[in-house]
Amino acid sequence: MYNSLVIIISKILNLFAKVLCKILKKDNGNMLGRIVKKLSPDILKYLKIECPVIAVTASNGKTTTNNAIRYMLETNGKKVVSNKEGNNMETGIITTLIKNCTLNGKIKADYITLEVDESYVPIIFKKIPLNTLVILNFFRDQLDRNGEVETLILKINEFLKTYNGNLILNNDDPNVARLGRANKDNNNVYYFSVDKYKYASTYQKEAGEGKFCPFDKTRLEYEYYQYSHIGKFKCPKCLYGNEEIFTKITNVDLENQSFYEDNIKYYAKADNIYTVYNFAAVISVSKIYNLDAKESLKTFKLDNGRNEKIKIKEVDTIINLAKNPTGANVSLRMLNEDNEEKELLFVLNDNPADGLDVSWIWDINFEIKNVTRIVTSGKRAYDIAIRIKTSGFDENKIEAYLDLEDAIKALYKTNIKKYVIANYTALQPTRRKLQEFNKK
Amino acid sequence: MKELKLLYLYPDMLELYGDYGNIQILKYRMEKRGINLKLDKYSIGDPKPDFSSYDIVFAGGGADNEQSILSEDLIKYKENIKKAVDEGVFFLLICGAYQLFGKYYKGVEGNIIPGLEIFDYYTEAIEDRKKRCIGNIVIEAKVGEKETKVIGFENHGGQTFDIKTPLGKVLYGNGNKFEDKEEGFFINNVIATYLHGPLLSKNPDITDYIISYCLERKYNEKAILEKLDDTLEEKCREQLLNEFKKENK
Repeated sequence: MYNSLVIIISKILNLFAKVLCKILKKDNGNMLGRIVKKLSPDILKYLKIECPVIAVTASNGKTTTNNAIRYMLETNGKKVVSNKEGNNMETGIITTLIKNCTLNGKIKADYITLEVDESYVPIIFKKIPLNTLVILNFFRDQLDRNGEVETLILKINEFLKTYNGNLILNNDDPNVARLGRANKDNNNVYYFSVDKYKYASTYQKEAGEGKFCPFDKTRLEYEYYQYSHIGKFKCPKCLYGNEEIFTKITNVDLENQSFYEDNIKYYAKADNIYTVYNFAAVISVSKIYNLDAKESLKTFKLDNGRNEKIKIKEVDTIINLAKNPTGANVSLRMLNEDNEEKELLFVLNDNPADGLDVSWIWDINFEIKNVTRIVTSGKRAYDIAIRIKTSGFDENKIEAYLDLEDAIKALYKTNIKKYVIANYTALQPTRRKLQEFNKK
Repeated sequence: MKELKLLYLYPDMLELYGDYGNIQILKYRMEKRGINLKLDKYSIGDPKPDFSSYDIVFAGGGADNEQSILSEDLIKYKENIKKAVDEGVFFLLICGAYQLFGKYYKGVEGNIIPGLEIFDYYTEAIEDRKKRCIGNIVIEAKVGEKETKVIGFENHGGQTFDIKTPLGKVLYGNGNKFEDKEEGFFINNVIATYLHGPLLSKNPDITDYIISYCLERKYNEKAILEKLDDTLEEKCREQLLNEFKKENK
């Protein structure tokens, strides 16, 4: 009874919230959820969910993959409720579901797709049903907020011990594939894998996690690395790394943005290996639910700030989010795979949502090609400038500005192609300031 | 050309918090002055290193799991390491490595990971797993002749006791224990500390102290280091010290 009342109150609040957020010019991604959770901490339990729930978790790629799954379902004519703006903790998920439920708490949809923060998986799915869980990767990410990666994995492993739904796992990440053994009785474990691509290497280029076999602590052997610790690995002792593959991507061609799966040629806007992995997960979901992914991947557009290509004052500009070393390394790989002359803007903040510790920038591989000038900004503009200088980049070609507007003005002194990398809280302000600058 | 030899311990295991950056910074500041850095790495399975043949030994912080695997390995070299410390080889030890050089590390369940017992401090994990000393930290330290404010980032659950010669006084942050007044361990040829950041990235004085110390020991003459352009480092320090001062009020 009380919870029915909470739902009605929250529906009314939602109406006010819309108006209020407009006046205050604030994002209301979590606000409604925060209030509702105060009124009823277990409100999620009282929602009536009758459709399949698909969730995505990972260190990197949650938003892109969740949105691609949502888009795939919609392209197949399904009605989908999803936290597409990326509010992936409990309050964000409450907000999404409350906004989309009837007055008696029923969610009207054919599917619910959610991206969920790694540490919230056990919390959320104690309260709502889960049909399919997709796990993409685990990288070091905001150690001061999340703790060690191993702690996170163990939490998810614990949750999976009693989970019998579909489990879609990245076979090429030893920290993810191991979770397929959490519950021996679960017959619904599906692995996806991507064949060696052009820029794979035989040594690890970037800091990563997969070094020891999770089962017997033997050092893992890699045939190749795709990026970070993602690649073809094997434990020489227990042969871990030998799972049966459900979705296997082959013939990855980043120039023509195509790849094959099960003799079907896919065209998708994936000009980096890491997006190909995300799409491998999407194809796995489509196969499980007997839906088509080919058409939707062809037209799916990456989100704002994910390899976003725009023109600012007529100058080609490519924007990427990088909230941890792997994200930054992937962005720099794309920059290196582009042979044109370019200039880089790196915006680094240390707000609580970013993690207060910026030492992760020292795990970035800063071997960069054809970059003639670097501008840095954000609250930690000097930290990133020092990092770049130490990597051997000419210090006279590095300019650090605490003020973002000053940095952008300095960046566009020339009309050389620009790459912009910003971390979590820096991304949206950077996009906004670029647009403002463009209009001036 | 002058050259210093550095041994990097367990690069594939003690590498969680970007501590490798310290080596990059040492190398950078040496090469700018025409000094070569020869880098050797040692990890489990490699042939036994001769610690005494190096000028600098470096080890960083790692994940708990990996730290317990490698402590067994490290202890095999106890006598060799002790000899190198006594002979004056410089040791830069961050976080987990700092703990391993003490008497022991006592885990949450009361399990004891034996240390190298080179120094007589010891570390105990705090019982509440969620409680860790996390945040920006500034300490006032005197290394060599110079007093300097050392800026870094701490992230440790272990509480280190019985430090007789700390690296510095805590101005902002926790230190060896929760709300401690002191941070790290220092003797002439050893800097052991919880500071990540990495430590040397914002503290050129410390880097230059290490380089001078090693050059003087190796070449037996006063080392006069050429001044480098530290504009970025100075601005970074100024900005962060101001920021922390504001937060402290």
